[in-house]
Amino acid sequence: MTMPLLQVENLGIHFGPTVDPVKAVDGISFSMQAGETLAVVGESGSGKSVTALALTRLLASPPARYVSGSIAFEGRDVLQLREGELRSLRGKQIAYIFQEPGSSLNPVFTIGYQIREAIELHRPEVRDVTAEIVHALDTVGIRNPASRLGDYPHQLSGGMQQRVMIAMALACQPKLLVADEPTTALDVTIQKQIMDLLKDLKRTSNMSILLITHNFGLVAGFADRVVVMFRGKIVETGPTAQVLQNPQHPYTKALIECVPKLGQKQHRLKVIDYAGIQ
Amino acid sequence: MNSISLSQETYTQRLWRHFHADKFALNGLRIVILLFIVAALAPFLANSHALIRVADGHVSFPIFLSLEPIEWRFLLYVPLAGLVYFFRHRFIAHPGIFILAVIGFIAAVEIFLALTHPINDPTNDRDRPASFKLLPPIPYSPIESTPDQFSPPTWKHLCGTDSTGRDIAARMLHGARTSLSIGFVAQSIALTIGIALGGLAGYYRSWLDIGICRFIEVMDCFPPLLFILVAISLFESQNNMFYIMAVIGLTSWTGVARLVRGEFLRLSSLPFTLAAKAIGANDFRIIVRHLLPNALGPILVAGTFGVASAILIESSLSFLGFGMQAPTPSWGDILSDARRYIDFAWWLAFFPGLAILITIMSYNFVGEGLRDAVDPRLKMK
Amino acid sequence: MTHYIIRRFLLLVPTLFGITLLTFLLIRLSPTNAALIKGGGGEGGGKAMTAEQREQIVKFYGLDKPPLVAYGNWVGKAMRGDLGNSFADHRPVADKILERLPLTISITGSALILSYFLAIPLGVIAAIKRGQVVDRTISFVVFVLYSIPSFAAALLLILFVAGGDYLNLLPMYGINSINASEMSLFPWLWDRILHMILPVVCLTYASLASISRYARVSMLEALSQDFVRTARAKGLRERVVILRHALRNALIPLITIFALELPVLIGGAIIIESIFTLPGMGQLMFQSLDSWDEPVIMGITVLAAVVTLLSYLVADILYVIVDPRISYE
Ligand SMILES: Nc1ncnc2c1ncn2[C@@H]1O[C@H](COP(=O)(O)OP(=O)(O)OP(=O)(O)O)[C@@H](O)[C@H]1O
Ligand SMILES: [Mg+2]
Repeated sequence: MTMPLLQVENLGIHFGPTVDPVKAVDGISFSMQAGETLAVVGESGSGKSVTALALTRLLASPPARYVSGSIAFEGRDVLQLREGELRSLRGKQIAYIFQEPGSSLNPVFTIGYQIREAIELHRPEVRDVTAEIVHALDTVGIRNPASRLGDYPHQLSGGMQQRVMIAMALACQPKLLVADEPTTALDVTIQKQIMDLLKDLKRTSNMSILLITHNFGLVAGFADRVVVMFRGKIVETGPTAQVLQNPQHPYTKALIECVPKLGQKQHRLKVIDYAGIQ
Repeated sequence: MNSISLSQETYTQRLWRHFHADKFALNGLRIVILLFIVAALAPFLANSHALIRVADGHVSFPIFLSLEPIEWRFLLYVPLAGLVYFFRHRFIAHPGIFILAVIGFIAAVEIFLALTHPINDPTNDRDRPASFKLLPPIPYSPIESTPDQFSPPTWKHLCGTDSTGRDIAARMLHGARTSLSIGFVAQSIALTIGIALGGLAGYYRSWLDIGICRFIEVMDCFPPLLFILVAISLFESQNNMFYIMAVIGLTSWTGVARLVRGEFLRLSSLPFTLAAKAIGANDFRIIVRHLLPNALGPILVAGTFGVASAILIESSLSFLGFGMQAPTPSWGDILSDARRYIDFAWWLAFFPGLAILITIMSYNFVGEGLRDAVDPRLKMK
Repeated sequence: MTHYIIRRFLLLVPTLFGITLLTFLLIRLSPTNAALIKGGGGEGGGKAMTAEQREQIVKFYGLDKPPLVAYGNWVGKAMRGDLGNSFADHRPVADKILERLPLTISITGSALILSYFLAIPLGVIAAIKRGQVVDRTISFVVFVLYSIPSFAAALLLILFVAGGDYLNLLPMYGINSINASEMSLFPWLWDRILHMILPVVCLTYASLASISRYARVSMLEALSQDFVRTARAKGLRERVVILRHALRNALIPLITIFALELPVLIGGAIIIESIFTLPGMGQLMFQSLDSWDEPVIMGITVLAAVVTLLSYLVADILYVIVDPRISYE
């Protein structure tokens, strides 16, 4: 068996006081192979974003405390890396897309500049950076990309902003793309377009994708495997089809039932019944 | 019953808890209160007359006989403090009206006293023989010249003396009264105007709002000190304490007006105001019972900072020779003396400068603490 | 852009009207002039005046005419730059102000620029080290500076570093030494700089304090934004994240602060010029207040208000230029 791309072992991240801390991530372990697509599903506050940010130690410490475990990316423990080594990991090896494209782009720089920054930093060998930026924007489906380079983020729609974020993430050809709820802030039709784009990328490149979501509906047909998080712990993990068809943990069942199915009449909105879990 | 009152923290209690947790703010408040006490008791702390004097078998209390009307104010504040203490439970229920009432009362007393003029009594009990005498800690009166001119700080004159041998410590203590009462009253005037105009603009909107906003804009274009200097010089013949209070107040209300306008705009579209309108409450009632109490937090914050800047303006004016007329002691006035003897008399600049610094800093700390307590979102720490 | 600027200029008109009207009312309501209007001697203000001065005032402000006509005439003259003649030396007020203006502009200008240059790094450092000893130290020192009255600071500085019985490092008064006219260019310049140090320092520290407080808050605000996380996620150096991504955003609101600082600085300059006996507008103002040179007083007041008004305008325009999110359409 080859070495996994990412191997998280017993990771624990706490916030707040040391005596009675907020255990945002409470001893989780999972791994990802190169080219694999993993979905992390869980409700709000279950520790998904904290996990995602921890992969490149983007969570500043303090306030976060990395209390236990290891994060091995290509065999090297991220938690032991020095600041300089971390920087060459970020963007170059592991790139991010965040939930709010509107606020994740810097309002005072043009989108062209913001993509250029990433390319110039991680791919100094590229001669014609502008062509590369245009290419990146073209890949994410922005029409007439050359004329868009000088636009400021506020001049783009939410969907286009998220495409720019994706272009920026892809521009350095990372091995792992972490998409933290990339569609939550967008409306439904745009959500579908962005998910289709991610699917395309998955097909055409050998990049691994870590998709974070609270919506099981996005997971089917996208992820190879699923990890279900509940209050900082992983309660279930397995191949997507298996988890969807035969969920073991009551929380997973509840989450799956929350997704309205097409063609099925919903009499009541499903609400998770916490009393039944644990 | 008990558990309810424990778990349901009122707004005022929450304010106080936040404020109390802020060390700087709390100490600032302590210093401000201490300054007020010192100011009120100034005649007993620095006076050339004895507190008690026994001579020829007679016991007398010369200090009380020498008191000028302006110095009796502490007698008005003792019952005020009593009232505040007595009604402290009502205070929790209606803090807004209560605070405004207390501010109004003090301002009224101070305005009334500001209109009176001090009298100079040249006698002193230091040199008068007596079988027993109890002198105040600083046995000099602020307007009394002694033969020691330009004495640097010594045990005899703790803060030194000036060119005519007046004791600086005594002048500083009495000057505290001038500064505090001008700061307080000027800001009360500014608050009154600011609340009135800002309230009108924010509540009635439309043309009234436009007009008042324009007026505020115009007022804000005049550099404050320049404006005040011109206003004071124009009416120089009526130069007394109340006049200075009024001019400072009349020129520094725009900040409060902007703030009250903003708060009223926000509050008057909230459900509780609409509900009050729906049951037919009249405008005055809505403003006084609903809007004003809810806007009071930010108003008090602005008022506290405003007192600090009014004190600064007063001392600038006195320093420049446009403020209180001699011989009324004022910190700025001591500083302007310092200017003439700048090559050696450091004590003339140092002590009043320090006093102004501490006062302004305390007020600013209280203001910051209040602001953080009123709106924890703005907390900068 | 030009469209926007023109519109903003037109919006100035009502405020300008308000400024002049207020100043004019102040003049007319002054006891001196009220007495003149009634045909009295004008001693109501407690300022003795010669018959000739009285006549001049009446004529210049049209005190013998109805208020509206008088106001119209006065504004008309003021717009043509005719602010009347000084009582003291009968020279046009505008000329007297203009020759004093460069000095005042240079000290307030240097103070403003200097405070920006020092305040922004201070605010940024405090924001980055939020809650740590560095931040608390900076915040406290800035708070103390903010509360020291400038005239007290000026006096103590003169006392301890400029002559007197203590250190004698810097000149005490004036803009040049007595023998400055015999100096060649560079010694003269050096002499001038030495004379300017204390006044500029006294004027700078207070606005430095308030600007750095704004800078800290503004920087904290910028650092908490999502795009800072994006910049870090790209692998940018922390220095670049802070100085390029966060600071660029934090500077936008700071640019407009200068307009708020300007009136304070003008007020401060009046005091500082009088302490250091610098022949600027502030000193002219005091001379005029002392001798009740009414046309000069009013000229300076209106000028200061107009300058402040224009600085608000400049701040607004700058804001539109630096913030790409605001369009001026
Ligand atoms: N900077 C922080 N300081 C304190 N607590 C934090 C911080 N960041 C996260 N937490 C805590 O960590 C827990 C997990 O948060 P996280 O952001 O990972 O949730 P999430 O699963 O991403 O939820 P969402 O779907 O809302 O994004 C939460 O309880 C939150 O309160
Ligand atoms: Mg999240």
